[in-house]
Amino acid sequence: MIGEALKGHLDLLLLAILADEPAHGYAVIESLRMKSQGTFDLPEGTIYPALHRLESQGLLHSSWSEDSARRKRIYRLTPKGQQTLAKRQEEWKNFSNAINATVGI
Amino acid sequence: MKENQIQIYLRKLKSQLWLRGIADRDDLAEIESHLMEAVERGLGQGLNLEEAESRALERFGSVKVVVSTFEKERKDVMQNILLAVAVLAGLFSAYVDASPNWDDTGILAGGLLLVSGLLTLLGHRKPWLIALAVGIWIPLHDIYLSHDFSLLLVLLFPLVGAYGGWLARMGIRKTLHPA
Repeated sequence: MIGEALKGHLDLLLLAILADEPAHGYAVIESLRMKSQGTFDLPEGTIYPALHRLESQGLLHSSWSEDSARRKRIYRLTPKGQQTLAKRQEEWKNFSNAINATVGI
Repeated sequence: MKENQIQIYLRKLKSQLWLRGIADRDDLAEIESHLMEAVERGLGQGLNLEEAESRALERFGSVKVVVSTFEKERKDVMQNILLAVAVLAGLFSAYVDASPNWDDTGILAGGLLLVSGLLTLLGHRKPWLIALAVGIWIPLHDIYLSHDFSLLLVLLFPLVGAYGGWLARMGIRKTLHPA
């Protein structure tokens, strides 16, 4: 149930996590799990196609880092990604306010 | 040397992504890096190698789930590219067919069949659409010029090719992954 509900909002979550700092896929997934206190625990392999799609849409940019012992693909938000994130955050705020008001939270 | 669980997983994933025409060396390197990091974390938490690999794979998701997600995310792009190639090949064949010095219908028919077969073999999921995109231009040209509908029969060649390629892809997939 949570997995299905999450799919529609995955882009927003990934953009928000990467707004904090550039990160590789593993760190993004860890951050998603930790910030949601384990609620958003999708199969890790399903996050990568979403990251790649966001990159192809110009919202993220990736580059390979050789700093550590292992090569890592680091994702960072582009200016277009920052604008999209701000817009989605606003949309989410309005949407969640409306839901909360309706269900009486 | 015996493959470990991660290598077996990566091999299966690679072949499945390749079959769908969405394999990318960087993507696979990224997934391998992720799994190795997950195994290292597991080892750091006191698991043995086999347990760490199992847990890394369990958390990553089955090949089926991961491939299906890749496919959903990329199918539009890949399908559209293959369709665009089909349209271009079809237009080129109509141009060749219309040129006054060309009279080798056999080569043209074979070309339509081969191109359609190749495009569905590479991953397009709608053989009928590929057949239309490749084969409709020659009959359309003739219908426009002479109102001759008999050349619609030309569509048989790309149809046979497209369904042949599609069946071959299904066969390859079944052979590699019987389950």
